[in-house]
Amino acid sequence: MRRNPWSILLVTASLWLSGTGSLTAQAPPPYTRTLESYSVPEVVLVNQDGTKVKLQALLDSGEPVILDFIFGTCTTICPVLSAGYANLQTKLPAGSPKIHLVSVSIDPENDTPKVMRDYLKRYRAKPGWDFLTGRREDIDKVMRAFNAYIPNKMSHYPLTLIREPKTGKWIRIFGMMSSSEFLAECKKAGLL
Amino acid sequence: MSRHLPRVLAGFLGALLLGTAALAAPPPQPAPATVAGLPVDQAQAMGERMYRQGILPSGEPMASVVNGDVPVAGTSFSCSSCHLRAGLGSWEGGIVTLPTNGARLNIPRYWKFPNLSIEERKELKLQNPAARPAYTDETLAHLLRTGRDPSGYDMHAVMPRYDLSDRDMAILIFYLRNLSLRHSPGVVGDTLHFATVITPEVSEADQQAMLLPLNNYIARHNQFSAGFGNRMYLGVGGNEMSGAYRKLALSVWRLKGPAASWGGQLEAFLAKEPVFALLGGISYGEWQPIHAFCERAQLPCLFPITDLPVVSETDWYTQYFSKGYYQEGQAAARFLNGLDDPAPAGVVVQVIQAGPEGRALAQGFRDTWSELGRTAAKEVLLPKGTRLTAAALGDLLTRERPTTVLLWTGDTSFPALERLAARKTPAPVHGFMSARLLGTRLASLPEPARKLVWITYPYREPQLEPKFSAYADTLLAGAVQRNPATRISTRTYSMIQVLRQGLMDMDRHFYRDNLLDRLGMQRDQILPDYLRLSFGPGQRYAAKGCFIMQVGPGDKAELVRQSEWVIH
Repeated sequence: MRRNPWSILLVTASLWLSGTGSLTAQAPPPYTRTLESYSVPEVVLVNQDGTKVKLQALLDSGEPVILDFIFGTCTTICPVLSAGYANLQTKLPAGSPKIHLVSVSIDPENDTPKVMRDYLKRYRAKPGWDFLTGRREDIDKVMRAFNAYIPNKMSHYPLTLIREPKTGKWIRIFGMMSSSEFLAECKKAGLL
Repeated sequence: MSRHLPRVLAGFLGALLLGTAALAAPPPQPAPATVAGLPVDQAQAMGERMYRQGILPSGEPMASVVNGDVPVAGTSFSCSSCHLRAGLGSWEGGIVTLPTNGARLNIPRYWKFPNLSIEERKELKLQNPAARPAYTDETLAHLLRTGRDPSGYDMHAVMPRYDLSDRDMAILIFYLRNLSLRHSPGVVGDTLHFATVITPEVSEADQQAMLLPLNNYIARHNQFSAGFGNRMYLGVGGNEMSGAYRKLALSVWRLKGPAASWGGQLEAFLAKEPVFALLGGISYGEWQPIHAFCERAQLPCLFPITDLPVVSETDWYTQYFSKGYYQEGQAAARFLNGLDDPAPAGVVVQVIQAGPEGRALAQGFRDTWSELGRTAAKEVLLPKGTRLTAAALGDLLTRERPTTVLLWTGDTSFPALERLAARKTPAPVHGFMSARLLGTRLASLPEPARKLVWITYPYREPQLEPKFSAYADTLLAGAVQRNPATRISTRTYSMIQVLRQGLMDMDRHFYRDNLLDRLGMQRDQILPDYLRLSFGPGQRYAAKGCFIMQVGPGDKAELVRQSEWVIH
């Protein structure tokens, strides 16, 4: 079939212009929110103080808990997620229930308790924020359990998981949240 | 449809003209005498501190906001966390961090072929419009404060919006304008120049075990570049990748005389032959003089063959395979600390043979034991040339009543080990020894002591190793037999694999810091010798683990794994 050269030019030009048109503004992408059921694996991890922690007991205790996956030398996503954690700790209204913040390392070989302690110090973390490392196989189990497995830590993505204390279900937030959005999600989940 | 064509074409041509107009680069600015009232050197240092550490000239953290309303102190993360040290940016988790170095800020940005120079861009048949013009100081300040570039494009919300005074802003902008502005030394014409350093005590055979694969790799690379090279990239990325592929050249810098004179010799070598980086290198002794030179000269050194690296959390320029002997000491401490049975960790004594190896092993244990909150172990120093006799060990056991003795001595204390094994009351006394220090003598560990002595073993399990090490033979080309005991050719092979990836990732941005930045962004590598090499920004020891083993019974003396590769 013979194509009309004008139509080819038109399509090319339209595509080209639509591409340049998108440069004018870009709002931060909204996060997505789903409700999920996860089964926490029976693994023992190590926290920033070198203390062994049974993850299932920690996460399924019924206390308000939030989970994310980070690593100590991450370039982009983890610093922003951690800034969100740090900010949440300072923004919690007086008298509100304690929320246990948990960060699981996806670079367990490098993230020793000392590296994790230094990391938390950089973010001025308050008690109630635990950074966990462990055997690579156990970390993989945790990532898989939360549908967050990535074979290469550089390919990870921003994920925050909030456990609803009443139902035991997890609110899975994919993307970045502002401070007010994070607080609102905590309220919605019944943490505050 | 044809009714709309003139309007579309007008838009097309308009955009084309806009793009062409944006090609004009700002005229080069003369170097200022002062920046924000400060001497240039001082402003540079302050700007560097802002960029790398997020600290203002006042000493306060830089204040910023991410994700709309999340305040962040510069000490939590800084510009270099995402843009990396050379400023070429990163890609992680779907978020692209754009370059922020001088060479890129000073020219317009294009979506298509953004790496082309102004001159190269003029050669394009189709001139694309610029996504943004070159930054002026004003538009750059606006971007840093609001996240909006001069074309109206809003950066992702994860980019901090900085609250900076005009003076602080001027200092940071001055730093950015000069960051990775010109290629580093060692890039001459179409060739990247490297060197490798050999210290005087290294045998000819060991030198060749490193040089042969290295030279073979370079010869193959150059043969490829001559026949294929840039044309391959032209097919993949058009003109953009042209120039990324360079020939490689290697100089061998052989050091002479005492270690104290090596720094001066290296400076003379570098002055005579400016190179982009050091590849490999080999020494039986401490790497410290070469490490210190590389820090001074800001010269990357990739994976030297040494078991005595400098252990530092802040130094930047030398990328090691591991922390060497120090790492074995660390593994011993972590293993002992994590045992379910607390008895062996009760009273610990380190017996240290004088010399750099014993020192490094003991230091690794000492630092880690302290970090774990344990009471310092007692230490016994064996002067050079002396060995631990059975009587001396017997006295030590009676005097100190240790539950574990770390024997950083080599095989000279084998006869004394029987004394250790004989001690059964009140409980057996455990020992630690270093596989690297024992070398091939490991298989001769006295039978009675085998169940009591833990071995720090910094490599992959030996029965699994041959299939990985065999890969290294491809670069030996049959000229040299691989020596599994020294692991020199296999480590050189691993260095080359990481370098190859690093050169590709560096693209045509030939800045020394960028090479190290790109190494830091590599995914894990499964290569000979070490179970895994892993990377991350600023991580300078790629192999993070060390097994604890025990020697099995009989002549076979198989190593039996007692721990994970990485012990927490």
